[in-house]
Amino acid sequence: MQLKRPARDLRRWLVAASCGLLSASVARAQDGGDASPPADDGPATVVDTALAYYHESDGRVRAIEPIVSVHRDYGDERAANVKLTFDSLSGATPNGAVPSRKAQTFATPSGKSLNATPQTYTTASGNVVVVSAPIYIVGPGQLPMDPNYHDQRLAVNGSYDLPWDRLTRSTFGADLSYEHDFLSASLNASLARDLNDKNTTISAGVNGEFDLVQPIGGSPVPLSDYTLFEKVGNHSKHDLNLVLGATQVMNRHWLTDLSLSADRFSGYLNDPYKIVSLVDPGGNVTGYLYENRPGTRTRGSVFLENRVATDRTSVSLSLRYMTDSWAIHSQTAQLKLRWWNPDHDRYLEPTARWYRQTAASFFSPWISSTTTTPLSYASADQRLGAFHAIRGGLKYSAKWADDTGPDGSELSVRAEWYRQTSDNTFVLPGALQGLNVFPGLSAVLMSFEWRFNW
Amino acid sequence: MHTRNLPVLRLLAAALTLALAGCGALGVKPWQRDLMAREDMRLDANAIDASLDEHMYFSKEASAGGRTFAGGGCGCN
Repeated sequence: MQLKRPARDLRRWLVAASCGLLSASVARAQDGGDASPPADDGPATVVDTALAYYHESDGRVRAIEPIVSVHRDYGDERAANVKLTFDSLSGATPNGAVPSRKAQTFATPSGKSLNATPQTYTTASGNVVVVSAPIYIVGPGQLPMDPNYHDQRLAVNGSYDLPWDRLTRSTFGADLSYEHDFLSASLNASLARDLNDKNTTISAGVNGEFDLVQPIGGSPVPLSDYTLFEKVGNHSKHDLNLVLGATQVMNRHWLTDLSLSADRFSGYLNDPYKIVSLVDPGGNVTGYLYENRPGTRTRGSVFLENRVATDRTSVSLSLRYMTDSWAIHSQTAQLKLRWWNPDHDRYLEPTARWYRQTAASFFSPWISSTTTTPLSYASADQRLGAFHAIRGGLKYSAKWADDTGPDGSELSVRAEWYRQTSDNTFVLPGALQGLNVFPGLSAVLMSFEWRFNW
Repeated sequence: MHTRNLPVLRLLAAALTLALAGCGALGVKPWQRDLMAREDMRLDANAIDASLDEHMYFSKEASAGGRTFAGGGCGCN
């Protein structure tokens, strides 16, 4: 019994930190409800906690992400869910420029000059302060990355499930996310109706998101000369997302789900920290421009998932096709298996995922410095290029009895590996040949999760 | 109609008949929902895992969402 007390105290702290937000009831419709409520019909609370660590190779981004999610089931089809997420990110992030045979000098987002000379100031009290110039120098052949990337994000998501009658229910949700240079707020609502003795469920949901973009040092003027540091104020963008879904119980073992999704983004869709290199016919970098993307983006997707369960196993296969007005087409396939032990209190879950996308029509790893064609849009952001990605992972989970029930607590550990490989087919001019212009990406994700009834 | 298309049409007709016959047998009775009630058959199970994964995909790929809303809530584009 003494061993249980510290865990109980930690639970009290976690619940106290989160439950006060339940009255505000927020989170995306499909995000909530992860917790499986206990079998009795009375109110019940389930708490999910997680600590995730994400690490990219080559000194790129590292992130630590603690999460606390509280699910309150009121026992009469009403339920509320609140999730708190904190991200702490650091490391290096590509700025969009291509490698060069010569060293390249860039300014950090707050910089206003490429002058490497430290600035000297005299304070009011007469002290002399020397401040390093906010620049970074990338060596010959190296991928230009800002090594000083730091960010923190705090997000609150919540949802409230409200039944209309025995067969119809709705979910209302809200999300709020804050970073020092970005603020996002969204509201959503969805309606689901059961048919055919609850073997068929149809649903419709709508989500509206408003984002405020407040780049460090200001928003660069699109396609302006990087060395001029022409920057203006903040911008905003909006997203309206509709999702229609149909779920069918095929038989005792088989469940299938089909979803159609449509998105409309508008506003400032640029990445304010990304630039594009100007390259002469010999492959030499002669300058840089700030990127520019279209101000609207329409995206549609079809998602199909099938799940099959037997007494001690289950298999999930999901497929997604997405296309958008930027000419990006993507296909995704994910396979997830789960093996239970005979007592159904432990499972092993391997996952495999394959993803492929084509490049956006305006994806330009570099711009020819001799071009005479007026530029409308250009971005060298590798996330808008052509690539494929594979991902593999393994999760182990164990439940055990505590003072709240036979499956009162569950501990999970998960490890995932992700690899992105470029499919771009650009012909590298002169001096760029032999340089790793499309380096791809490798990353690992580890997470520890603890779920308990309250 | 070309006679060489008949085998294909017959095959399609047979497949359609089988599919329609199968639709009539879709679903289960309430007492047959033991497997459907299990957590790994819930489409919203593992929401924490899903949110971590979606955050990563949203920040590293040009696609997001599908069955869920696609908003990212972060400035990582």
